[in-house]
Parts: sequence; C-alpha cells; structure tokens
Amino acid sequence: MSGIVKVYPPDVLALDNVDIMIRWGTIHSIIGENGAGKSTLMKVLYGITPASAGRIFLDGRQVRFASPRQAVREGIGMVHQELMLIRSYTVWENVVVGSEPAAPLGTLKQAEARARVEELVTRWGLNLDPDAVVGDLSVSAQQKVEILKLLYRDASVLIMDEPTAVLTPQETSELFARLRQLNQAGGTIIFISHKLQEVLDISDEITVMRKGKRVMTAANEGLSRTDLARAMVGRDVVFAVGRQRSEPSGRGGTVDVGMKPRDAGSPAARGDERPHAARPALEVRGLSFTRPGAVKPALSDVSFDVSRGEILGVAGVEGNGQFELVQCITGALKPDAGSIRMDGRDVTGASVMERRRLMCSVPQDRKHTGSAQTMSITDNAIMAHHRLRPSLSARWRALLDPRACRGFCVDLMRRYSVVAPGPDAALAQLSGGNQQKVIVGREFSHDTGFVLLDNPTRGLDVGSIEFIHRQILNKRSGGAGCLLVSADLDELLALCDRILVMYEGRVAALLDGETADREAVGRAMLGLELSPEPGPGPGSEPEPEAGAEPRTEVGSE
Amino acid sequence: MRRQQAVAAAVGVVVSLLAGLMILWLQGYPAAQSYSALFSYSLFSQFALFSTLNKASTLVLTGTSAAVGFGSNCINLGQVGQFLMGAMAAAAFGIAVGLPKWLTLPLVILASIVAGAGWSLLAALMKLKWRMNEFITTLMLNFVADYFTQWLISGPMLDPRAYSPMTRMTNPQAWLGMYNGLSGSVAVAACSFAVTWLVWNRSKFGYECRVMGQNPSFAAAGGCAVPRNFVLAMLLSGALAGLAGGLMVIGGMQHRFVKGIGANYAWDGVMIAIVAGNSITATGLYALFFAVLQTGAMGMELETAVPSEFALVLQAIVVLAVVASRESTRLFLAGLAARIRARRAIALGDARAAQAAQLAQRAEADHAAPTGGGQDEPRA
Repeated sequence: MSGIVKVYPPDVLALDNVDIMIRWGTIHSIIGENGAGKSTLMKVLYGITPASAGRIFLDGRQVRFASPRQAVREGIGMVHQELMLIRSYTVWENVVVGSEPAAPLGTLKQAEARARVEELVTRWGLNLDPDAVVGDLSVSAQQKVEILKLLYRDASVLIMDEPTAVLTPQETSELFARLRQLNQAGGTIIFISHKLQEVLDISDEITVMRKGKRVMTAANEGLSRTDLARAMVGRDVVFAVGRQRSEPSGRGGTVDVGMKPRDAGSPAARGDERPHAARPALEVRGLSFTRPGAVKPALSDVSFDVSRGEILGVAGVEGNGQFELVQCITGALKPDAGSIRMDGRDVTGASVMERRRLMCSVPQDRKHTGSAQTMSITDNAIMAHHRLRPSLSARWRALLDPRACRGFCVDLMRRYSVVAPGPDAALAQLSGGNQQKVIVGREFSHDTGFVLLDNPTRGLDVGSIEFIHRQILNKRSGGAGCLLVSADLDELLALCDRILVMYEGRVAALLDGETADREAVGRAMLGLELSPEPGPGPGSEPEPEAGAEPRTEVGSE
Repeated sequence: MRRQQAVAAAVGVVVSLLAGLMILWLQGYPAAQSYSALFSYSLFSQFALFSTLNKASTLVLTGTSAAVGFGSNCINLGQVGQFLMGAMAAAAFGIAVGLPKWLTLPLVILASIVAGAGWSLLAALMKLKWRMNEFITTLMLNFVADYFTQWLISGPMLDPRAYSPMTRMTNPQAWLGMYNGLSGSVAVAACSFAVTWLVWNRSKFGYECRVMGQNPSFAAAGGCAVPRNFVLAMLLSGALAGLAGGLMVIGGMQHRFVKGIGANYAWDGVMIAIVAGNSITATGLYALFFAVLQTGAMGMELETAVPSEFALVLQAIVVLAVVASRESTRLFLAGLAARIRARRAIALGDARAAQAAQLAQRAEADHAAPTGGGQDEPRA
C-alpha cells in the first residue's frame, strides 16, 4: 500500500501518506494507540472504506477493492473485532453462507457444504463441531468460526483486527498457535493490536503507527516493549511522566495541601498526616448494584476513600464494574445498597445537580455525555455553570446573561489553550483534543473538592494527553481528591498515588502507585491471586525499586 | 454557522419560487402575472398585509409550539388536538362567562392555554409513567380531541339555530375585535412569540431544553432535571397550540367553534418548525412567509385562475428545497474540507519525500567525497 490518505469529513486526517509493505508468508503486526489509524488502514485494504488517495498493490499488480467481496475474491480475508456471525445458525451454515455450493436449481448442496467444512475443521485441527449452533459457542470458538469462514473462501491473507481483545490469556495462546500453524502453511497474517507483548510474541515484522502515520517498520529481532512503546507514543511512556511532574507541583505548593514526601508510609498514614484530609473528598461504603435482569451484580460491596490531594486510580478490564461505579457516583444510577459521601456529606440519594456542587466529572464518552456536538462552544462550556455560577445570570435570575456566558467561554478557552475559530463555533468543528480541553476546562472550573475522571484522555493525541495530565496534577496539588478511572495502565501508573483494581464488581486490590507495576496490576485485573512473586517481567518499566514486592491491600470485606 | 444556515435558507426559498414559476409556466398559466398577484394580494395593500398578519398569527403559534417541542426532543405531534381543545375551551368559556371584557378576555385566553397544555400533559405523563412514546400518544390524542369536540358541537353544545355542527356564538365580551381588518390576535400572538423567544434563547430553562434537544444524555450528566424539563417543554408546546386554537375563536370572525376550525394550521406549524430547524426566530420568519403564500394564493386564483391549492405545492417545494439545501450545504462544505485536507496531506507527503530524497542525495555526495572534505577542513 503506498501513499494512502484517508480523511473522514470534515477534516479528520485518519491516514497520512501511509506506505506499508507486507511480505507473503509473514506475520506482520500493526500496532498503535487508539485512533492511530490501524483499523482505518485495514478497512481501506479490505475495501470497506475508500481511500482519499493512494494505491494498493497485490503481487505487484495495482488493485482497488470497492467492497470486501472483491477483496475476498483476491484471497484477502478479515476477522473483525466484533464477530459477525448469525447466532442461530450452525457452524457449517455460518461458514458457507454467502458462498454456498449450489445445485443447478439454486438449491443448497447441504451434504457437500457440510462435508467441506468438516474436512477443513479436521485439516486444521480446529476442534469445532460443524453442527453446533454458534450462539452456544464461546467467544474464542466463534472466532475460530470466523477464521474457518476465511479458510473456506481460500483466503491467503488474513487480517485479524484486535482478535485478542475478547480473549482470555489461555485462549490467546491457543489462537497464536493456530495463527502460527496457518502461517507455516503459507498464509500471510496481518495482526492488529495495541498490546505490545502479544505483538512481540507472534510477529515476524512489526509496523508502528501513530496519529495516522507509519512511524516505523522493523523485523522482530531485538525489539523490546520499550522500543515499541516509545515509537507508539512518541516519547517514553510509563515511565516518569507523572512522577517528574508531581514533585514540582509539591514544591510550588502555595496551597500545600496534600503534598508530601512521596515515600511517606502507607496511604492511610499519609492521609492522617494531613489536617485538611480529615474529611476525605469521597467516601464510598459497601456500594452494591445489580442491573435489572442481570444475574451477577455489577458492583458488590465496594468501599474506598479518596483523600484530598490524592489521585486514586481505578483499573480493571472493561466491564468489571468501573462504569457502574462511575454512574453511581455521578448520580446517573441509584445503587441498591451502600452510601456515597462527598466532603463528608451524604449524597447517596442526591440529584445530579446537588452533587455538582461537590464534584466535577469528566465523562468517558466525549460525544455522548460530555458535550452537545452541534451546539456552540459557549453552550457547551456553561453546562452546570449556568445554574451554579451566579455571574452568568442576568439581572433576572431565571435568565442567562449572554455576554457573561460568552466571556466565561472566552476565558476558559484562553486558560485551557483551546484552538478554535471562536466561542460561537460549533463544538464539532474542533479536533478531539480541543473538544476534550473544553470539557476538562468546564469541569475543572467548578471549584470542587472531588474530581471524577473517567478515561479523560481516551483517543487523544499526545499533546492533549500531556496537557490534560498536567491539569489533573494541578488539581491534585490544589488539594482536590481525584478518582481516575482509566483503561490505560500507563496513565494510571504515571499519575496515581494509589491504584484500585476492580474485578467482577469487587475491589480486587488496592496497590500503592509508587511501587505497583504493570504485572501486579495486570494480575489483579485478571482476578488472579496476587502472588508475591518479585521481579519485573521482560521489558518491564524502569521502576527504581523494581525488585520490591508491590504493597497490596485487599479492599472491603 | 448561522450565516451558513441563512444562506441555505435563502437558496432554498429562491429555488423553490423558481420551481413554482416553472410549474405554472409548464401548465400554461401566465406565470409572471400569477406571481405578481400572489404578492400584491398578500403584501402590497393594507388589507392584504393585515390578512397576511392575521393568518401568520396562528401559524406563528403552531409553529413555535412544534419548534419548542422538537427542539427539546419532545416529539409533540399533537398540535391538532391541543389546538382543538384550546379552541373548545375558549368557546365554552366565551359562552358561559359574561363578566366585563377586561376580565373575560384574559380568562378565556387562559382557558385555551390551560386546555392545550393539559392535553399535552396527558402525553407527557404517559411518557413518564409508562414510557409510552409521546410521538405516538400525541398523535393518537389528536383523534380523541377531534371526535370529542365533534361530539360536543353536534350534541350537547350544538347551536339549535344552526344547520351544521357548531357551538353558539360566544359573548361579545370574549371577542378580541378587529381594527381596520387587523385582528387583535396578532398582538396576542406577537406577545407570546416574544415571550417564547426570550424563554427559549435567554432563560436557563430554555438553554437546558436546547441542550436536551441536541443531546439528552449531556443535559442529564450536566445536572439538568431532564424529566422535569421534558414535562415543562411539553406543557409550553401544548400551551402555544392551545392558544392558537383559542385565538381562532376569540379573534376570528365567527366567534364560535365550527366544525373543521383547525383547518391545516396545526400541520402547517409542524412543517414550519421543520423548515426552520426548530429555531424560534426562523419559525417566526417562515410563518410570515407561509402566510404570504396562503393569503396571496387566493388573490392569485381571482386574477389568473391558478387554483389556490398552488400555495400547498409551493409550500411543499419550499420545505423540500430548504431542508435539502441545508443538509447538502453542510455535506458539501464537509466534503470540500475533506478534499482540501487530503490534497494538503499529499502535497506535504510529496514535499517530505522530496526532502528525504535531497537528504539522501546530499548524504551520498558527502559519502562520495569524504576524503576531500575531511582533508579540506582542518586546513581551512
């Protein structure tokens, strides 16, 4: 693929002159952060979306796929992140659907089709029952069906879009064995992921993408996770960003709330040292919640505190209760049991607006809950301020003063260096990073003791991430207690004083941010027993006390 | 943003007027003459202008009713029912109440507002209680209101002296009166339009409604009381439609509830709100424009025998053209931006490639003459 450019209207440059060459018979990984353009590149290759410019060559011959069907005809197949199967059909029916062997009258040659599928299953040792109904299968087995579909269509190039996102570690290694087997049989595999270790495990060649550009392509020899991470992010990652920053903020503390020598005792002990922290910013006690109709509780008996001047991180594989926890705290969900106190006040039954006096919240979904894209920046900036900030009211309190609102927005844009045509421009005209700055600015302008951050940097470019991280650290040094929910472990490790790990709706572990490393957090995320196994994994983060055992506390009983 | 919308609207209106001209011409009518009749009978005399304003006063109210509803994400399609209930309340109070005029008139107006709002409240409550979609309930309630009022005017409230279903005439104390052909309802409509504009564009409640209309989850996350605002927006929407109905009785010529009193006003209001993109200001302007078309069409029929139904054709074309041009302007601009961006990226890529090539060349050159260069320098 050469010089591929893809612009999503109006001006999102998803792919910027990407050149990439994939050799026959290799396993070629493409890695990058969310939004780096991996999936878009594959969609272009597979004919799902047309490229704005650029050419694709297959075997030296220029090709142009207008639809996936044409790509399949050329032997290219793609397994999507979300599986696309008909759940009520059997395995073999799913496999043949769309290219059934048909008898002259257009009837389906059932026996023949089934036999071919069975033959493929045995040849590849897939361990699938062709007559099983797909809806009854596990996710990994369904993924096998997807692969089988491609084999049935004689695909020689397999594109796997983040196949391991839905798999357990055991299933992942089984998948890898299968991919290697296919590769040895001459298949070419393009493997999309953002998990570094997996990529190092399986690939022959690795391409790193960042912000729509190909950053590097290298043979998988002597590469380390650090190398890849640096290429992905464009700087050293885990490692130190937050740590460096937290110190100056401590020194520069005119408000010295919560700034402490970083190595002072346990978190609880630290809390006691600080007079201001007598009342924690947030206290959660015995929080339980079960979604109506669900069997398993989404949250069960979750308890923790967020002290003032501390950042408490919440880690966990997506869907382990973080979302419900956030919703209970914002007031979007009413918990079945338990209590929530902010700044000592019980807000368990309080409305969203009442809570807004005590907390601010950066939601994870920028477009859905964080903003109204079609409205102006001003309209987006004054949300919640319109009720809580008297200076925005006109003389008659039910009305807003448009000039004050505009001024507030202009000021916010200046303080948070938002690049925009002006306060009246629609929010949708701004880049994602600038939109997020508006949202963070709006929320942080609430002078509250508790700050809730739900994946505040998801899908942003590096510059905006740094900016927002700095703002979060500023908030902390200003004495606010922050709860940072994030799917990005590096972010948590870089910023947090303590890290709470959630597993199946429970607090699985409470780790010290200072000493925790990826492995410890990762084990807790998987619900594995926290073994006191010392020593970092291969290519682990440069923790100064890497050998030290992570200090852990198990949360609520 | 706003300028872009104005341009799109202007383009749409001009295109549709031209399309109407074409249709007239193709059908063999004197097109230019018809158009001049259309406008002279709606704008260019006092009587014409006043008739247009009278018509506009109703359209403005049903239009803002729909715009307030749609704009805050309450799909209130019950203007017909709310209009009829408002009109019926005005008729009933106008017949029953015989107090002095300064007391009767406000009372009757209030009655129509309450009736309209009450009718929409039913739908709002059904939504809150049983999650019934207001889109369907308001539509269904239209039929209830229609048959209910028909029963009233042909049964209990039938004027014994009338030959067709209608109520008795209301007391003269409940008449707004005409001033040189300009109905008093114009003033009432103008006032309520101003109030609605202020509430919608300047009040905190209006701001929350507008956010709710664009993204209800954002409003909820920001602490707006979404269910309460929903009910209030429904009430406001219903009240405006009810007032439109009430003014029809107290401000018109007949001063009674006659069968078919609503005509098409309610649906025209929905159409106007859609064309106006739920903006209150634009709703006012389009209400005037549609009133011009509807009023002028009758004059046109007199002068050039073009059937007055032609106004309906023109309205439909305006709706299509404006809405289409609004969407296509946006898409066109977005597509243009994308294309420019792609071209710039390619150019940048080329420049980068050229630069790389240059660097490579230089490196090669350096490589080719390393000895010479290396020896030269120490000497110099």
